[in-house]
Amino acid sequence: MLTSAVLQAINGISLAALLFLLASGFTLSFGLMRVVNMAHGAYYLVGGYIGLTLAEKTGSFALALVGGGAAVVVLGFLIDRFLMRRTGENHLAQVLLTVGIAFVLGDLALWIWGGDNLMVPAPQYLKGAVVLPGELYYPRYRFVLIFFGVVVGAALWLLYRKTQLGAVVRAGVDDREQVNATGINVDRLFILVSALASFLAGMAGVAGGAFLTLYPGAEWEILVYALVVVIVGGLGSLEGAMIGALIVGLLDAYGRWLLPEFSYFVLFGPIALLMLFRPRGLFGKEH
Amino acid sequence: MTAIQVEGLAKVFGGLRAVDDVSLSVAAGERRVLIGPNGAGKTTLFHCITGTLKPSAGRVALFGADVTHAAEYRRTALGMGRTFQITNLFPELTLLENLTLAIVGTDRRKWVAHRPVEAFGEVRRQAQAGLEKVGLADRAAQPVKHISYGERRQLELALALNTGPKVLFLDEPCAGLSPSERQRISRMIAELPRDITLLMIEHDMDVALGLADRVTVLHRGRVILDGSPQEVQTSPEVRDVYFGHA
Amino acid sequence: MNRTIALIALAAALLLPHIAGPYWTGLVTLMYIFGLLALSIDLLLGHAGLFSLTHASFFAVSAYTVAILQVRYGVPTLLAAPAGVLAGTLLALLFGLAVRTRGVYFILITIAFGYVVWGVAHRWSSFTGGDNGVTNVPFPAAGPLAITSHTQYYYLVLVAVILCALGYRVLIRSPFGLGLRGIKASESRMRSLGYRTTLHLYAAFVLSGALASFAGVLYVYYNKFVNPVAASFQVSVEAALMAIVGGSGTLIGAFIGAGVVLGLRNWVSSFFELHAAVMGAVFIATVLWAPQGLVGLARRFFK
Repeated sequence: MLTSAVLQAINGISLAALLFLLASGFTLSFGLMRVVNMAHGAYYLVGGYIGLTLAEKTGSFALALVGGGAAVVVLGFLIDRFLMRRTGENHLAQVLLTVGIAFVLGDLALWIWGGDNLMVPAPQYLKGAVVLPGELYYPRYRFVLIFFGVVVGAALWLLYRKTQLGAVVRAGVDDREQVNATGINVDRLFILVSALASFLAGMAGVAGGAFLTLYPGAEWEILVYALVVVIVGGLGSLEGAMIGALIVGLLDAYGRWLLPEFSYFVLFGPIALLMLFRPRGLFGKEH
Repeated sequence: MTAIQVEGLAKVFGGLRAVDDVSLSVAAGERRVLIGPNGAGKTTLFHCITGTLKPSAGRVALFGADVTHAAEYRRTALGMGRTFQITNLFPELTLLENLTLAIVGTDRRKWVAHRPVEAFGEVRRQAQAGLEKVGLADRAAQPVKHISYGERRQLELALALNTGPKVLFLDEPCAGLSPSERQRISRMIAELPRDITLLMIEHDMDVALGLADRVTVLHRGRVILDGSPQEVQTSPEVRDVYFGHA
Repeated sequence: MNRTIALIALAAALLLPHIAGPYWTGLVTLMYIFGLLALSIDLLLGHAGLFSLTHASFFAVSAYTVAILQVRYGVPTLLAAPAGVLAGTLLALLFGLAVRTRGVYFILITIAFGYVVWGVAHRWSSFTGGDNGVTNVPFPAAGPLAITSHTQYYYLVLVAVILCALGYRVLIRSPFGLGLRGIKASESRMRSLGYRTTLHLYAAFVLSGALASFAGVLYVYYNKFVNPVAASFQVSVEAALMAIVGGSGTLIGAFIGAGVVLGLRNWVSSFFELHAAVMGAVFIATVLWAPQGLVGLARRFFK
C-alpha cells in the first residue's frame, strides 16, 4: 500500500513537472500581456509532433526538444503578430480566436501525422527503469522529467525573482502603465515572454509525447489540466503555477489510483472549494 | 440623528496610507463638503464609506447602523446614494433604461422576470420625471453613449437621486463641466430638500464654500481641519496645503 | 417589416418537411435544438456579459438522464423528460458557483467544469456506457400521444422552440433582464444602486442552465442516442460560436448562427476532411471581421 502511494506520488510529480512547463508560460502571458491563449495546448501538440519527426529523422532527442520548442516560437510569433494583435485586451475575442486557431492547428496536425497514438522516441539512456529502495522499479524517464522540471522551474524562478529582466516583467505584471512610463521597450518584452511561453509549450509537447504519447485531442486534455493549474495557482503567478502543478499532478495521480471512474471529480473538488473561499486562486492578484 | 459616522478609518495600499485615521460625523440634513488637494484621499475615503472598498481599519455607520463590512446593496437599502468622479453609467442603454435601473434597484421589482419593463407604468413615469428634473427628458430614448459629457454628468446625478436616497455622496459632480453647466448642477444640488443629507467632494472652492454647512479638509489621508466655511477660508494651514509647503 | 419576415419564416418552417424531404427535416430539427443551446449561452453572454463554456454539461446531463431512464429503467417520457431538465438544472445550481468570479477566471473555470462532466461521461462506463454512450432511445410518448416519425418530431421541436423563444423574449425584456444588461455595462454602478449582482448572475446562470438542459432533452429524442461527445468542450464552444456568428444579444441570432454553423459543417464535410479547421477559420473570421455577428452586419447594411 505504501509503495503504491509512493509510486503514485512520483507519477503525480512527474505530471506536475510537465504541467508546470505548460502552465508557467500561460500564466506569465496572462499576467504580463493580459492574453489568454487557448491554443497553448495546440502548441504542445504541434511542438510534440515536430519534435517527433525530428527525433525520427535525426535520432537526437535533444534536437527534438529544442526543435519542437523553436518551431512553436516561430508559430507563436506569427500568430501574435498577425492575429492576436487585433484583439487587444478583449478576453472574449482572444478565447474565441485562439480556440479557432487551435481547431485549425489540431486538424492540420491530424492531416499530417494521422490519428494514431504516436510516441516520441526517447534515447536509450532515458529509457528503462530506476530501482528505488525497497525493490521498486520506476520508469527512468519520469524521474528525469521531474529533474528537468525542477531545473527549468529553478531557472525560471531565478530569472523572474533575481534578475533585472525578471524585475521588469514582475513590474509589468503588477502595473503595465508604470513599465511603459519608464521607457522600457514593452513590445520587445512582450515578444520575449511570449517566445519563452511558446518554447516551453513546444518543448513540453516533446517531453510529454515521450511517455504520454501524442494523439488528436491531446491538445485539449493537456490544456484543461494546465488551466486548472493556473486557476488553482492564480493567474499571473509563477509560484502559483508551481504549487498548482504539484496539487493537480498529485490529485490526478491519486484520483486515478483510488477512484478511477471519478478521477475528474478529484480535480473538481479543489476548484469548487476555491470558488467558495478564494476565487482568485492561491496567489492570484486583484485585477 | 447622525447620518454618517466615521471613526478611525484607514485604508492602506501596500506601503501607502491613502486614508489615515479619519474620523468625521455628519448630521442628518447637513451639507458637508470634503476638500483637499489631489491625492489627499478624498475618493478613497468615499469608496470606504460607500462600500466600494473595504477599509483596513476603523468603523463606518449610516444612521446608527454599522456598515463597515456591509455589502454595497445593504448601504443603498439604508438610504445611500452616490455619484462617481469618473462617470459611471450604462453606455449602451437608453437614458430611460438607466434611470429605470436606479428606480427599481432598491425594491423587489428588480427580480421580476415574467413581465416586460414597459408594463411598469409608474416606473416609467418616475423615470421620465427624473429625467425632466435634470433637463434630459427629450433625450430619454437615446443611448447614453450618444449624449454629451455634460449631459452625462447630469444623468450621473439623476441616477443617484432616483434611488430614493436619504444620504447622498457626490464625488466632484461638476468635474469637467463648463461654467454654465457647473451653475446648473450647483443649483440642482442647492435645491435638494433638507431631508437628504449631503457629503460632497468638490475641487471648486467657490462651489464648495457656497453650498457647505461645514467643510472637512483632507491632506495626505488625514483630516487637517473640520469647520465652517469661514474657518476654512481663513485658516493658514489650509492655505499652506493648497498654496504652500505643507 | 419585421412582422412580415417573421410570418414568412414561420410559414417556411411549417411547410419545410413537405417541401424538403427527410434529410433537411432532420438537419433543420438539429438547427432548432442547437439554436436553443446557443440561446441559453447567449442569455449569459449577450446580456450578462459572462462567457460560459460549460453549457454542453447541462445539455449532456439531461440527455443522459432521459436516455438512461427511458432505455434502462423503462421510465415513460412524462417523467423522464422533466427529470432530465431537473438533472441539468441541479448541475447548473452547483456550477453556478463559478459566478463568484468574473472575466477570464470565469471562462477558465467553466471550461474546467465542463471537462469534469465529459470526464465522468467518458470514464464512468458502468453507468454512462463510456464512449459508446446510451443507445436506442425511443421517440417521446405520452400515453395515447406518441411521436412515430421524424416529421412529427420536427413539429414538436418547432413548437417547443417557439415557446422557449417567446418565454426568453419576456425574460430579456423584464426588469430582471434589464438588470443583467446593467451588470454587463457597469457592475460597480449596479452594486451602488442596490443590486446584489452576484446573486443576479447566479439566477441567470441557473435559468440558462435550465434552458440548455431542455435543449438536451430535445436532442436525445432526436438523436436517439447520447455519448460523451455531447458533453465535450467542442460542443460548448461551437454553441457559443453560433450565438456570436448569428448575433449576440439578439433572439434570432442564436438560430441564424446555428443554421450557418451546422449548414456550413454539413456542406464542407461532404468534400473536405478538415472541417474542424474550417470551423476554426469561421471562429477566426468572426472575431476579426464580424464580432457583432450576421444580425449586426445586417443592421449596419440596412441603416
